[in-house]
Amino acid sequence: MSMRSLAARTGDRIAGSLAYGVIGLGLAFLAIPLVITCVMAFDARTYLGPMPPPALSLHWFERLVSQADILASLRTSFILAVLTTALSVTIGTAAAVGLARGNFPGKAALTSAFLSPLIVPPVVIGFGLLLFLSKAGITNGMARLLLGHVIVTLPYCIRTSLASLLGSDQRLTEAAMVLGATEGQAFWTITLPLMRTGVVTGAIFAFAISMDDVSISLFLSDPSATTLPVTLVSNMRAAFDLTIAAAAVVLIAVTALLIVVLDRVVGFDTVVGQGLFRS
Amino acid sequence: MTKVRRQPVAISIPDRRDAALTLGPALLVFAFGFLSPLINLAIESLKEFTPGRVGSVENAAATVQNYYELANQAFASVLLTTFWIGGVAAIIGQLVAFPLAYFIVRRISPRMRTLTLGFLITLVLSSVLIKTYAIELTFGSVGIFRPFLLTLGLFPNSREYINIVVIAGLVHSIIPVATLTLIGAMQSIDPRLLDAAQSLGAPGWKAHLSITLPLSFPALVSSTLVSLTFAISAFVIPMVLGRGRVLFMSNVIYTRFSDIANYPSGAAISLVMLAVALAVVAVITFAQARRVSR
Repeated sequence: MSMRSLAARTGDRIAGSLAYGVIGLGLAFLAIPLVITCVMAFDARTYLGPMPPPALSLHWFERLVSQADILASLRTSFILAVLTTALSVTIGTAAAVGLARGNFPGKAALTSAFLSPLIVPPVVIGFGLLLFLSKAGITNGMARLLLGHVIVTLPYCIRTSLASLLGSDQRLTEAAMVLGATEGQAFWTITLPLMRTGVVTGAIFAFAISMDDVSISLFLSDPSATTLPVTLVSNMRAAFDLTIAAAAVVLIAVTALLIVVLDRVVGFDTVVGQGLFRS
Repeated sequence: MTKVRRQPVAISIPDRRDAALTLGPALLVFAFGFLSPLINLAIESLKEFTPGRVGSVENAAATVQNYYELANQAFASVLLTTFWIGGVAAIIGQLVAFPLAYFIVRRISPRMRTLTLGFLITLVLSSVLIKTYAIELTFGSVGIFRPFLLTLGLFPNSREYINIVVIAGLVHSIIPVATLTLIGAMQSIDPRLLDAAQSLGAPGWKAHLSITLPLSFPALVSSTLVSLTFAISAFVIPMVLGRGRVLFMSNVIYTRFSDIANYPSGAAISLVMLAVALAVVAVITFAQARRVSR
């Protein structure tokens, strides 16, 4: 074996182990805090002590469900997430159809306008809405929260629906109409099923984002309507105890469930292909 | 993209009705819930602040005082903190995300791939609150990383310790997002190019340096900038992990609102933040336009 290829192989080995080291450390860094949180949620101690817990118990979960404010905010969060998802998906799907099928000037500009809430910092949206809605005389906490959540989830629903619509063949819809379907029939039996993956992805995103949002809800919550993350943040600032770890376990379980649904219905590759993120 | 192209035609009557029906609700929500609040924010930022009032007085005098007040050292240091901590987190995020994305695209079995992707997507979709709490639990007073940081000579109340914890919090959110972004770019790199380079005698690391890196460079640039935008608009992470000592722009907006109710000043900072975010997005768009044109 020549010296050159030996040197190259050593270089490869070093570079390779470096890359694997970074990947391993990175994945560990992502997983360890979550694992610690899940383990600590079952800690039998009544105070926050170091890892590992000496015994396990469910008492933090009992405390979690015995707190009236947490239960009330969980209920609010859930109702809000369902309403947000329903509204965002309906409005977003309709808008995607309009954007994909309509012929009018300024279509591209309108599409970017609809997606623009993604680039505005959420705190700015929350604060802006608070000032505007106070001026407009809308004081109902639930209504404020719903508007705030729809604003940030709508771009996802429009984007995912639009992507699956543009990826499908419009001639199928036209064929249905040539064969005698009315516009409505063609929409419900051909267009909408073709958009299914985009609509489902958008719905799951809308639900997850609404369930988790803090930045906007913190401004728009009021005593009559407070979401779970907002209650948890104020608990976190007041006293750092493990009821929050218990809440985290519940929320992680809900998210994991959504992810399984996402994989079954849509498949991860489709999701990754569409690009996920608010920038 | 199999985009169906239609010749542009004049809008016929049913078309216009369809457009109103499909786009109307979204336009309404957009105008009322997004555009109007932003315009109102701009107007509010030019109003004079009257202490002890919620919001500006009805016919308050127009003034640039709120912006003028931001040109001081305290706000400059907030801006600087936001940028340097955000920038460091964005770069560390890419350093991990880049090899991870390559690994997922080329080196693992479909089963492991689904598992890893599922894990990353779970992280993206799970609450920033949970991740922040988990980081605090890991690095905080009882955390397992605490002794490690202590041996490095970092004391829990030092500014450096808090900076590191905030960076850790941001990186934890950035890695999954950046990895999933980079996967798209890596997938479009032809693996035969690497094979060719190696069969022509280039060592593996050199082949990556001269093929994988340049071909995914534009994606790496936009991923870095997307991570930076995420970091500079972060709110919960610096609020909880920064313990009031590390303040980001969004934390100052919240303080203006919750502690002193100086809405005009909060509005002015919001507009500065919006301008910063738009500037970064403009750079991303420019970078992507160059990628397309090449």
